[in-house]
Amino acid sequence: MKAKTLGIITFLSILLIGCAQETVNIDVMHDQGKPVMALDYRDFDQAASQLVQSMLASGALKKEGGGRYIIAKGRIINDTMQRIDTDQLMAKIEIEILRSGQAVMTRAVGADADKLIHEARELRDDEEFDQSTIAERGTLQAFNFSIKGKIFQRNIRYDKNLQQVEYYFQLMLSDSVTGLTYWQDEVIVGKRGSNKSVSW
Amino acid sequence: MKTITNILLFVIAVVITGCYQQHDSRIHLREEVGSDSLVDNIVTRPVAYAFSALIGEGIEITQAVTKRNDAGFLELHISGHNRSYQTRRFRYRVEWLDENGLLIQTKTSVWLPTSAMGKSPFSLKAVAPRPEAVNFRMDTKKWE
Repeated sequence: MKAKTLGIITFLSILLIGCAQETVNIDVMHDQGKPVMALDYRDFDQAASQLVQSMLASGALKKEGGGRYIIAKGRIINDTMQRIDTDQLMAKIEIEILRSGQAVMTRAVGADADKLIHEARELRDDEEFDQSTIAERGTLQAFNFSIKGKIFQRNIRYDKNLQQVEYYFQLMLSDSVTGLTYWQDEVIVGKRGSNKSVSW
Repeated sequence: MKTITNILLFVIAVVITGCYQQHDSRIHLREEVGSDSLVDNIVTRPVAYAFSALIGEGIEITQAVTKRNDAGFLELHISGHNRSYQTRRFRYRVEWLDENGLLIQTKTSVWLPTSAMGKSPFSLKAVAPRPEAVNFRMDTKKWE
């Protein structure tokens, strides 16, 4: 009887393991996966690609006489129902700005400021540190442009069974001296799906 | 009598064809917006739809032009035509190549969605994110 019970347990265990959904790695280059109502990496890729192309094509970052502009990152507001790290969008954009050779990003100020840059300056007159390795006064450079943006979401009841979710990615580039906006664009990602799907 | 009827039908056909005004080719008037014609009307349309589907008409690229913009980046302008009667939704990805024909790694080379309405022209534009891009290659896939 005991052997029989053990046999049944073993059989059931094998059956359950066999039914378990296998974990697979996503092929992020050629993902054949179905779209989801929430924002996924494909939506961020699409938005970042379109925004970068628009920004570079505008010529706003081309500095007369050569050289590179300095850009500070302002606030990117997440006004969606999802917990999003806005760097998912901004990191891709910053990478392409840097690689374009037209501008550099500053971490001395802005929403993504690096505290260590300022902490390093507090070491002046600290005898524990070789003062020739400490940044001198007046070495930080001010930025020429600031970049800020917003991601927001609108949920619309499409009909009895379907809902429509619209995501707006907005970005703008403004001159730090004059305050004038030299470039601005928006990418819309729209999804329509079951009312039962949740977009957060 | 039969000859007279034939002549009358011929004259009416010529008059109707003559009355059909060719509008500016830059303006596309869709069915149920523009006037019907002898070749495109409520009778011939279903046949044309079926024939188009049968021979598998789809997207055709008519022109691919590259130019360097004022900021020094290569721009790709694609012109095409959707030969089918159905709206074609598809994704495209543009990859940029340097002077040695090597792929330039960029975050902008991702699958982007687009669509073209039935029997309509369409255009796409892509901008290389690096000044060293001198050529491109483009791939398409069905919008799942």
